[in-house]
Amino acid sequence: MANLDKESAVSVNLTNPEEGKWGMVIDRDLCTGCQACVAACAMENNLAFVGEELSGNGRSMHWIRIERFWEGEYPEVKATPFEPTMCQQCGYAPCEPVCPAYATVHSQDQQLNLQVYNRCVGTRYCGNNCPYQVRSFNWFDYERPEPLNNQFNPDVTVRRRGVMEKCTFCIQRIKRAEDTARAEGREVADGEFAPACAQACPANAIVFGRVDKPETVVSQLAKQARGVKRLEELGTFPHVTYLKAG
Amino acid sequence: MSKQISRRDFLKLAGLGAATTAVLTGCGPASRVVVREQYIRMPEYTFNGQSTYFATTCRECPAGCGLVVRTYQGRAIKTEGNPLNPVNLGKTCARGQATLQGLYNPDRVTDPLNQGRGGALSANKVTWEEATGVVADALNGGGAAFLMGMAPDHLYDLAADLGLETIRYSALGAFEARATLTQAAETMLGQKGMPFFDMGNADFVLSFGANFLETWVSPVAYTRGYAGLRKGDRGRRGLFAQVEPRLSQTAAKADEWLPARPGTEGLVALAIGRIAAEARGLAVPPAFAGVDVAAAAAEADVPLEALERVASYFAAADRPLAIPGGAALAHSNGAQNAEAIFALNALVGNFGRPGGVFISPLAPGVDEYHRPANMQEMADFVARMNSGAIKTLFIHGVNPVFELPKALGFAEALVKVPQVISFATFPDETALMADYIFPDHHGLESWGYQRIVTGATRSALGGAQPVVVPFYNTMSTVDLLLAASQSSFADEVAFIQSKVEPLVADKNANFNAAEINAFFAYFQQFGGWWSNAEGLAAPSGGAKAVAVEAAEFEGEGEFYLLPYMSPVLGEAGANKPWLQEVPDPMTTVMWNSWVEINPDTAHELGLENDDVVRVVSEFGAVEAPVYRYPAIRPDTLALAFGQGHTAYGRYAAGRGVNPADVLGLSYNEAGDLAFAATRVRIEKTGEKRVLSRLESKLGVYGEGLGEEH
Repeated sequence: MANLDKESAVSVNLTNPEEGKWGMVIDRDLCTGCQACVAACAMENNLAFVGEELSGNGRSMHWIRIERFWEGEYPEVKATPFEPTMCQQCGYAPCEPVCPAYATVHSQDQQLNLQVYNRCVGTRYCGNNCPYQVRSFNWFDYERPEPLNNQFNPDVTVRRRGVMEKCTFCIQRIKRAEDTARAEGREVADGEFAPACAQACPANAIVFGRVDKPETVVSQLAKQARGVKRLEELGTFPHVTYLKAG
Repeated sequence: MSKQISRRDFLKLAGLGAATTAVLTGCGPASRVVVREQYIRMPEYTFNGQSTYFATTCRECPAGCGLVVRTYQGRAIKTEGNPLNPVNLGKTCARGQATLQGLYNPDRVTDPLNQGRGGALSANKVTWEEATGVVADALNGGGAAFLMGMAPDHLYDLAADLGLETIRYSALGAFEARATLTQAAETMLGQKGMPFFDMGNADFVLSFGANFLETWVSPVAYTRGYAGLRKGDRGRRGLFAQVEPRLSQTAAKADEWLPARPGTEGLVALAIGRIAAEARGLAVPPAFAGVDVAAAAAEADVPLEALERVASYFAAADRPLAIPGGAALAHSNGAQNAEAIFALNALVGNFGRPGGVFISPLAPGVDEYHRPANMQEMADFVARMNSGAIKTLFIHGVNPVFELPKALGFAEALVKVPQVISFATFPDETALMADYIFPDHHGLESWGYQRIVTGATRSALGGAQPVVVPFYNTMSTVDLLLAASQSSFADEVAFIQSKVEPLVADKNANFNAAEINAFFAYFQQFGGWWSNAEGLAAPSGGAKAVAVEAAEFEGEGEFYLLPYMSPVLGEAGANKPWLQEVPDPMTTVMWNSWVEINPDTAHELGLENDDVVRVVSEFGAVEAPVYRYPAIRPDTLALAFGQGHTAYGRYAAGRGVNPADVLGLSYNEAGDLAFAATRVRIEKTGEKRVLSRLESKLGVYGEGLGEEH
């Protein structure tokens, strides 16, 4: 660590993992549960489909799911507001310290939880330790018959058996936007790009951007009184803020 | 800045010479012929590591959302919404996202086939020259009819130009009860056309069965409207109430849910109208005056207080809006229900006001709104097929054997048609019963345009262009018809250009061009043409008398059956594996069908989750596992439409059941199928089949934990 580049260390705000760099705000009042984000994520990130039996055994590979619960009994029954749930990109992530292979590590550059597939040895400790249950494990190599493989996104690694995976905040899009901005000699503009889920969302319930810059849309939204972090009491400092409904 | 550029940074910068997100104009080499080349010999407009983006129109449903498709070295990688398209403004639904799994589906029809009405997909390939000859003979033989999907597109225009009898149908339209909606709108608004509900500017939305957040009419556009309602651009969060027997995904977002007895939606509307008129201090119009509110609440089986509460919201709102749709209109009295619901809008005078009801702008090239066929017209068509009046039936973009109620007898009538030619992209149930399958390109491999019926506030024409070269030995159906009819048009593009040419003169649009070639390049670049002029028409109608009779039901069973369109699969999504693995929003079930039943009813009948039951009507029976659904009336069962294929590829076939198999054949006054008017009973089978669910298998109330919990 002695050779750490001082300039970049200052610019990435290492002193404040609670705040982070990229963040998301999800408005539960606007989310209609339509699953567009779920499908968009699968298409962008080369997610495997596992079929009826395995998905019924809880082995589907969703990086984002939409939670809803029931309250009360008929006729005074309500569904709780839909909650898109993905990796919360915790500042102090419970998945990180338990990995014996340094496969799930914190990115200094992006302040995100990384999953390094070629380090992962499949202990599943990280999934076990995640309070949000957002990690999915490749129990098998899943078949994608020809020519479905033509659809593969060349920016995203295709995972195979024995590897844990999870939402990356579409880090390939973050990198591409940053590279483009650097090539043009400017900063990445707020709203210049979005992860696949936010880009698809028909209600604009998912908003993405820099949470370390107070002027961004996502920072403004996260400051609202309706904003809550999930399982805040665990001290994980999630970088996803949910806006309460109603 | 003195920072040195590292070698790594230099390589990154060097690779970014070209703009990364430019949408091709289509006037380059990609304009007319798109070629998928080997990696070693890429087309000149592609750069290694760079994507090319093409704008087109989504074909997964008739709403006509604009897409921008990312392609990479000749392969389609990802679909995104077209931010410029006025229907969806850059957004997509799950089906639009999964359209690539249709393009690269392993079970497409790969070649023109002499199918010979065999049960399985034939291996008898024919050449496109032979296919052209077959189609030419059919066109010259007379008695040809064309059954096609709901979207008014260039194929529809060509078939009409060729003098073919055309009929447009989709199960989506049937489950929307679209004919009822437009007929009631015409009666009450005094103007023909597709109504547009300005939800985004309303402050209270009262929807009767309209599932506008799922599949109804133009779901992405109406989801945007819903977001506007909630964000309360006028300073206050708008409220929303839904009246329907089952809490749908749409109703799950409502502040109030009134589980009215099926068929009483019109009565509920009249009662709300009466209360609201009195609360607003208006003279109660005759339509509402005859209603006894307490009796209506009792008849609808909803608490009087809840009814009054919803009515008080409607009365107190500045901009209340009532929306009729879906199952509320699919009763014997459905047309009257729709009129009663429109009468609520008339009561508060919101026709043509912000947050009220408008008539959707007409797309270019049409003089008036042409609706797709209703079920009555489909029944007449089937009768003509049976009578032998139809010598050749062309089928494109619709799967009627699956999408029509079994009781209608389409499959039996199809056997009696001397020649059936399918243009199906996938081996669906109808295509397998055809004499020939001449597969069309997938939508992402096709040219085209589509008139936008509603969703946009301006006149719009969606444009489509191939984003990749056709993957298989398929042929554009329009090209095939042009060749077979020895048309003067050189190809499909020439035909499309002839149809859009009048728009060159309209300078108040999203782009301007001096002549047709430049116009067409822009048309491709923008993904369509739309006017800059706001096009919503303010209807002239006012209060009219309405009367609602009691609904009639078919059959003797103890349950009402509520079939509804699967929000994720729609009518044709079942062959896409990732759509199968996207959980149903309310039940979280994947890959199968289920019967929704109230937990108390299930308890009385001794039914647990995953117990297979037989749902029996006078017209048929289906078997599916029970899902104890907490938010459905105790006297109602619900079944989602979308599964139950016997063909349509490996991911769809042999999975789940089709509620169309048990539906009766009664119609409402607008000729739509009264699909919510069938009564059913259930029988236990003693079997258990565990559903794949994303939610915990412990069940909604933890019943999976065992008796002691």
